[in-house]
Amino acid sequence: MKLKPSDPQLTFLLSINVLILLVATICSHGDFLDVYNFQSMASQLPELALLAMGVSLAMISGNGGIDLSGIGLANLAGVVAAALMPLLVDADAAPWTYTAGFVLVALLTGLLGGALNGLLVARAGLTPILCTLGTQMIFTGLAVVLTNGSSLRISTVDPMSDIGNALWFGVPIPFLIFVAMLLLLGWLMRYSPFGIRLYLLGTNARAARYAGLSRGKLRFATYTISGVLSAMAGIIIAARTASVKADYGSSYLLIAILIAVMAGIRPEGGYGRMICLFFSALALQLLSSTFNLLGISNFFRDCAWGLLLLFFLASARISIKDFFPNSKRNSASLN
Amino acid sequence: MNKKLTCIALALSAVGFASAIQAENKSIDIVTVVKITGISWFNRMEVGVKQFGAATPGITTSQIGPAQSDAAQQQRLVEDLVAKKVDAIAVVSMDPATLEPVLKRALDRGIKVVTHEADNQKNTQVDIEAFNNTAYGARLNDRLAACMGQTGKWSSLVGSLGSQSQVQWADGGASNAVKKYPKMTLVDAKNESANDAEKAYAKAKEILRKHPDIKGFQGSSSLDVLGIGRAIEEAGLQGKVCVYGTGLPSEAAKFLESGAVGGIAFWDPKDAGIMMNKAALMLVQGKPITDGMDMGVPGYNKVTVKKGPGVGVIVTGQAWVEVDKQNYKQYAF
Repeated sequence: MKLKPSDPQLTFLLSINVLILLVATICSHGDFLDVYNFQSMASQLPELALLAMGVSLAMISGNGGIDLSGIGLANLAGVVAAALMPLLVDADAAPWTYTAGFVLVALLTGLLGGALNGLLVARAGLTPILCTLGTQMIFTGLAVVLTNGSSLRISTVDPMSDIGNALWFGVPIPFLIFVAMLLLLGWLMRYSPFGIRLYLLGTNARAARYAGLSRGKLRFATYTISGVLSAMAGIIIAARTASVKADYGSSYLLIAILIAVMAGIRPEGGYGRMICLFFSALALQLLSSTFNLLGISNFFRDCAWGLLLLFFLASARISIKDFFPNSKRNSASLN
Repeated sequence: MNKKLTCIALALSAVGFASAIQAENKSIDIVTVVKITGISWFNRMEVGVKQFGAATPGITTSQIGPAQSDAAQQQRLVEDLVAKKVDAIAVVSMDPATLEPVLKRALDRGIKVVTHEADNQKNTQVDIEAFNNTAYGARLNDRLAACMGQTGKWSSLVGSLGSQSQVQWADGGASNAVKKYPKMTLVDAKNESANDAEKAYAKAKEILRKHPDIKGFQGSSSLDVLGIGRAIEEAGLQGKVCVYGTGLPSEAAKFLESGAVGGIAFWDPKDAGIMMNKAALMLVQGKPITDGMDMGVPGYNKVTVKKGPGVGVIVTGQAWVEVDKQNYKQYAF
């Protein structure tokens, strides 16, 4: 993923990040530039950004694609793993087996949940927004049934807790997981046949069909990957809070969509870059932590995010290139 | 590219500038984190938090909370406070389990941690409980008994049998009656109202039909008295059947006026807010809270201190507030 200086969205996002960082630093008299603060932000970011990656994938696939079931599936994956693992493994006796089992069960749940979305959208032809709204309720409902609505504590043996809380050369593990996934998905989208076909499908579904692409298979794969990404978010949430809860992060859904839209992922499909997603998520986290550091009301934050969302949606229409006269807009880009 | 370079240069100069003007002397910074902002319960708590901050020199107090009822948002707020390295965090946990790792990080970073209504929280130094649940239930029962003339049939309602504190209130009332008032008979104990005034109303009507000679009701959920009160009003039994229970003055006002509900009890979030901040300040100053201590906050004049499930202690007061028709107007929430 090389930086292309001619991408206006990326330049724009980078400048926003620098701007927020500057304002935060000045307003906090330098407190913001604390190593611990950056570690804290880097470990808060991944769970949301992974969900945003799932949403982005669905959006890129076009045909009104979106995945609203992300956080529901993330919680369900955590809940299923947390409920099942103590029956199979004694965490204190075999911490590594417990952790590996937890991760596997959660990923499998995510895979199945994502596949369910994929089947309904690709085979049954349901509208993605309605279909994933429905499955979101199913996932959350199942998690409530399994936990009776209250939170379930999970074992805090070292490897499990490390996934969410440990540092590796000063970098939080969840952040490393997120970056690895981002690079993998970025590579997949840019260089693999799957990614190239998906962009084509999102840009013009009819042309893709005449080109002999299987829309069903592509969409099925998209939603399944999105489900697996949700499960990863679920694992990180479980490890970071040492518990699982059916309605954890009920406010994440809209924030994930906001990250995707701010990253310039086109809601009509066919365009979106993972590097932009990274800086979009980073900007939101910086902004959110700045507000907390300065003690600004949370209602104002919701308001600010709403404004940002509208601003970015509008800017996609108005064309950002007007603000950057020396950059060329390449509308046929596949990345 | 030029633009980017300018930006980086600006950022770097800001770093130098900012660290140069970093503030020197700081007051003790105590932040209270509530479950959700903008509801009357926590607005009332904020009154206490601000009052304590204004009355105590050398400290800054503030209250924050998520705009949505979401444990994730509360967790993030606390996470950022830990990064900010405030002196003390006082938190009303949305879900104690969810906050354990972040509160542990706070303690590791030398931040003092106080919790409220979380007697199962492990990573806290002081947990503040307004009162002992059994004692609270017994006290409600005493008022009911006084109204009933210590004789006759009575029944109790709870929001749900899964709600631990409410069941403890009802049981506390029941065991109090057995001990002190032999002429009182408990019938159909602990009816579930599902935390719904409508269901409480239906339950109360059912009980009135089944036991026409019933003399009293003890409610547990704050909505129980509303449902029972309505049933009593409809049957025209004001003054003949006694109703006592947990309730909020603003909600129960109508029934207190009509006499359908004899009295309610609750705890004042304002005092809980003051108490949390006071405990946090004592932790920062290194002063211990001991058994039987007078904290100088109404209802916490003789606190009980016992060991909690983790590193900290649980401090319990007798901070229930009892109101009836005469004095409910003093509490505007």
